[in-house]
Amino acid sequence: MRKLLPILGMVVAAALPGCGFGADGGSGELTIYSGREQDLVGPLLDRYAKEEGVDIKVRYGTTPEIAATLNEEGDRSPADVFFSQDAGALGSLQAKGRLELLPTAILDRVDSRFRSPQGDWVGVSGRARVVAYNRERVREPDLPRSVLGLTAPRWKSKVGWAPTNASFESFVTALRKTEGESGAERWLRAMKANDTQVYENNVAIRDAVAKGEIEVGLINHYYVAEARAQEGPDYPVGIYEPPGGDPGALVNVAGAAVIAGAEHEDAARDFISFLLSREAQRYFAERTKEYPLAAGVKPAPGLVPLSSIRQPDVDLADLADLQGTVDLLERTGVL
Amino acid sequence: MGLAIGAATALPVAYLAITVGGSLDQALDTLWRERTLRLVLRSVGLAGAVTALAVALALPLAWLTARTDLPGRRAWTVLTLLPLVIPSYIGAYLIVSALGPRGLLQDLLAGPFGVERLPSIYGFPGALLTLVLFTYPLALLTIRAAMSRLDPQLEEAARGMGRSAWRTYRSVVLPQLVPAIGASGLLVALYVLHDFGAVSILRFDSFTRVIYTAYGTGSRTSAAALASLLVLVMLAVLWLEGRARGRLAYHRSAPGTARPPATVPLGRWRWPALAFCSAVVLLALVLPVGVLVYWSLQSVAGSPDWAGIGAGTGNSLIAAGMAAAVAALCALPVALLSVRFPGVASGLAERASYAGYALPGVVVALALVFFGTRAVPVLYQSLAMLVFAWVVLFLPQAIGSTRASLLQVSPRVEEAARAMGRSPLDVLRTVTTPLAASGVMAGAALVFLTAVKELPAALILAPIGFETLSTEIWGATSVGFFERGAVPSLVLLLVSAPPLYLLTARGR
Amino acid sequence: MSVIRSEGLAKSFHGKRAVAGVDLHVERGVVCALLGPSGCGKTTTLRLIAGFERPDAGRVLVGEKLVAGEGTFVPPERRRIGMVFQDYALFPHLTVESNVGYALGRSPDRTRVSEVLSLVGLERLAGRHPHELSGGEQQRVALARALAPTPEVILLDEPFSNLDAALRMRVRREMREILVEAGVTALFVTHDQEEALSLADRVAVMRDGRVEQEGTPEEVYGRPRTRWVADFLGDAEIVPGTAADGAVECELGRFPIPKELEGTVDVLVRPESVALGAGPAPGRDRSHEGVVVAREYYGHDQLVVVKLASGRRLRSRSMGFPIWHPGDRVRVWIEGPVNALAAEPAAAQATAISAADPGQ
Repeated sequence: MRKLLPILGMVVAAALPGCGFGADGGSGELTIYSGREQDLVGPLLDRYAKEEGVDIKVRYGTTPEIAATLNEEGDRSPADVFFSQDAGALGSLQAKGRLELLPTAILDRVDSRFRSPQGDWVGVSGRARVVAYNRERVREPDLPRSVLGLTAPRWKSKVGWAPTNASFESFVTALRKTEGESGAERWLRAMKANDTQVYENNVAIRDAVAKGEIEVGLINHYYVAEARAQEGPDYPVGIYEPPGGDPGALVNVAGAAVIAGAEHEDAARDFISFLLSREAQRYFAERTKEYPLAAGVKPAPGLVPLSSIRQPDVDLADLADLQGTVDLLERTGVL
Repeated sequence: MGLAIGAATALPVAYLAITVGGSLDQALDTLWRERTLRLVLRSVGLAGAVTALAVALALPLAWLTARTDLPGRRAWTVLTLLPLVIPSYIGAYLIVSALGPRGLLQDLLAGPFGVERLPSIYGFPGALLTLVLFTYPLALLTIRAAMSRLDPQLEEAARGMGRSAWRTYRSVVLPQLVPAIGASGLLVALYVLHDFGAVSILRFDSFTRVIYTAYGTGSRTSAAALASLLVLVMLAVLWLEGRARGRLAYHRSAPGTARPPATVPLGRWRWPALAFCSAVVLLALVLPVGVLVYWSLQSVAGSPDWAGIGAGTGNSLIAAGMAAAVAALCALPVALLSVRFPGVASGLAERASYAGYALPGVVVALALVFFGTRAVPVLYQSLAMLVFAWVVLFLPQAIGSTRASLLQVSPRVEEAARAMGRSPLDVLRTVTTPLAASGVMAGAALVFLTAVKELPAALILAPIGFETLSTEIWGATSVGFFERGAVPSLVLLLVSAPPLYLLTARGR
Repeated sequence: MSVIRSEGLAKSFHGKRAVAGVDLHVERGVVCALLGPSGCGKTTTLRLIAGFERPDAGRVLVGEKLVAGEGTFVPPERRRIGMVFQDYALFPHLTVESNVGYALGRSPDRTRVSEVLSLVGLERLAGRHPHELSGGEQQRVALARALAPTPEVILLDEPFSNLDAALRMRVRREMREILVEAGVTALFVTHDQEEALSLADRVAVMRDGRVEQEGTPEEVYGRPRTRWVADFLGDAEIVPGTAADGAVECELGRFPIPKELEGTVDVLVRPESVALGAGPAPGRDRSHEGVVVAREYYGHDQLVVVKLASGRRLRSRSMGFPIWHPGDRVRVWIEGPVNALAAEPAAAQATAISAADPGQ
């Protein structure tokens, strides 16, 4: 116990100074709350900090956690920018008036499908749900027009999905919006009855398709793009985007917004502007293989151009309604 | 002082009250849904099942490692406790990777037996297995400490009265262990109630997971309402434990000073005992660590970010060390109060401290965000804030073990010291604390072990840029580079080993 | 001068009175026993004097200094008392030496430690831990620890109750010698009358939270003030009688009594004053016919129950010889002191007997 006392002294001494957040209001500062992982966006932020001479502080976390933190902080938040993994969290903050309107000069750089209708957040990069297929076993014309067609006997035991994956859950949420609760439930049950194979994650599905274990997998586009970048153009997995606004071709976005009452508002806008710059958009296309949403940057090779994917008729901000989806997945025994 | 500490740890409850009170209609709306009841039953069912199994696993292990001549007893003591350092989120991930439908085990079986897939372990069975495997050491720790402190005279007395070994165990040893079993069961049950890592990876739709998704979708009130319900469940569990604890005195009333307990020879039973210990260690330790080492080797080939891991290790040690020290210091007055002055106020103080422990880390962290930004903006997102959050979250672990050891310190010994001219504070320092030292140290070590792997509070409250091992692991695993998270995970296990060793060494 | 003094000391627990006005004076250098049955409040009295409990009423003085009462409360650590607990309360984490040293403050005087340890004869065990000692040794460590800081008084709570019979006798004697040698004032609590009588200079007999009688061992045993005290301190035969002019007349004869008593009295006869013989006692004018009805043999002595011609039963304690058998006709006479008490109403007798229930 006697040994603990000096330690306690050190605790207080060490914990107090240098605490808190920069309150000196220097213009060269910026605090970012990032729901996107450091591994993915860290290098890009570092590059920006170095080039622009901005002292960037980034708090990383999961998108739901950060959204909740921003909610609790209210107008006392030290954050200037929220860089979100998905549109849903941005939508929930928008609904609470926690976001600052963005200038049209920024908004207009992104297709209206991928930004806030109210103008307070903007999509930065996109990820599309795709039907990945084994090019040696399946020809693209043989694939059904919609993922709804995968319940046909032709696909029995030949399809893989990862029900525990967050992107899969977003897709089911979109399905509930387009097909209605009962339609979504029917499809899930039919898929299960068709012996759809369960995998841990998207990578496992992609590899199973590549090996021919299964013929078709429901995953995100960049998993295929990454593998193709490594394995070359002969990589046996192809990408198919069901046409006609099919939920199987849902494009979700990662986006950014300025926090209401941000101390460094100008710097925050400059940063978001940077995220939409050619340099940053190219980074997303090359590094994370996501769809660039601005500056006319082309996606990674082998991908369907974004302009030819028809987004299902859902508001991206609505995709945050996860609980109903989890309930449904559970009720149908998919989880 | 004990009362003040109790009040401070009840901050999360105050936060819930404020949030729920803010829009009562919406909160009640959430609570009246039929799904909510189902959630309560599911979570309580899981907590009950895990607690029962964890205690059932811990009792024989504690006895074997504390009181018998089991070959390699010291080694088994450490090995059976080691799974404690594996965070449930890593544990769950590892269990899925190893035993999942297409995990490593399936890989092994696929060749010779053509097993294409194993039955799914998602949902209840997986969550149960994972949580039992990684929480039973919590129970083992407390029960083992109590068992090695048991007065052998009592057992001898019972045996002398013609009781068989088993009846002695049941009629004398077990009742003596009731406080320890109660305290450890409480820790396990509350751990399960607040755990997020395992249930989210294993997709068991528990309370915490629903609270989490509610926060994510911005329905702060629903989340707070559900969390309040969790507080009520916790109160029920506490009440149960309090009843089990009763008003008994557990210090020696016999004259003189206890001898250390005798060792029971196992004889032929040595082999089944060894097999039992091996099975537990294999499943809870060798399997997950094996997977980790396998991945680490792959990762080392890809030259991991050693500098980052080094900084994270340092930060984890500092922050968790501080939390352990502060929690130990805070636990002593609260435990003393409840042991020496049992009453309504002291009971409340002790119980209040459990509030933080039953709540998911994310709720506690958000409560401190709420109060921190409003009351002490200077401290917001400082190291002090993180340390405070961990103390709020894990104080009961320190209180539980401090309390258990205080219960065995006779008040006469303290009075003797008073009579010798020592002030109460001096007595606390020179007699009570050294006698309860094993419990206090065990508490500090426990808090360290749990804090070092804690995730949500670290993510939300740490100073910006303050990376800990757990946030690094999370950073790597959340983008699916599990190999990259393997090295920091192994480092996490390594830094947890010394306090664990301390725990077992002191427990003798 | 009273080193320990309590006046009107009272204490209740949960509305139950444990101590109800205890007055106690212990002079310097005296070993005083607080004797009473279980639940009579003797341990509470001790704890009130030590300062472990706060009195509801009354006051306590230690060394002529007010330590409790009249709005004052001196905590135990500042009362200059030494305390020996029933279970010794040795510090299990400290060696014998450190246990004793603990009493001497943060930097104990090592010569004093070895001095007290040699006083109790334990120098060679200085390095041991309490659990490595026998019960008697632990007891002596507890005593040494209490004596080390040369306290004003030393309080002992049932100090021998945890020792076996053989050990108890020896330790009692040793303890008495140590206390006398240390010249310390001691107050000890016991329920064992033999222990109180053999060890103490003064005995205070407690009953229902009060001191019933206080005096030398000879006084309380030989001249009990009440039948209850008489019964509690040993076997006693009570025979009705009439007192007048410094003597008492009863069916056993006429005896001088030291008290000014008149009228109906209870005559108190201890069994050791009842003598038996085969024929009439030499030089006795009065002996009685009796028949032996029962006998308990203890080795060093025996207890014989005889029935007189009047039908009265008397107990007689005598040497182990001669051996009597039930049915033997004997002569019975009184030899030794006889005491008389004012007769008590029957109800009071009943409570006296139940309060003196053995085995507590």
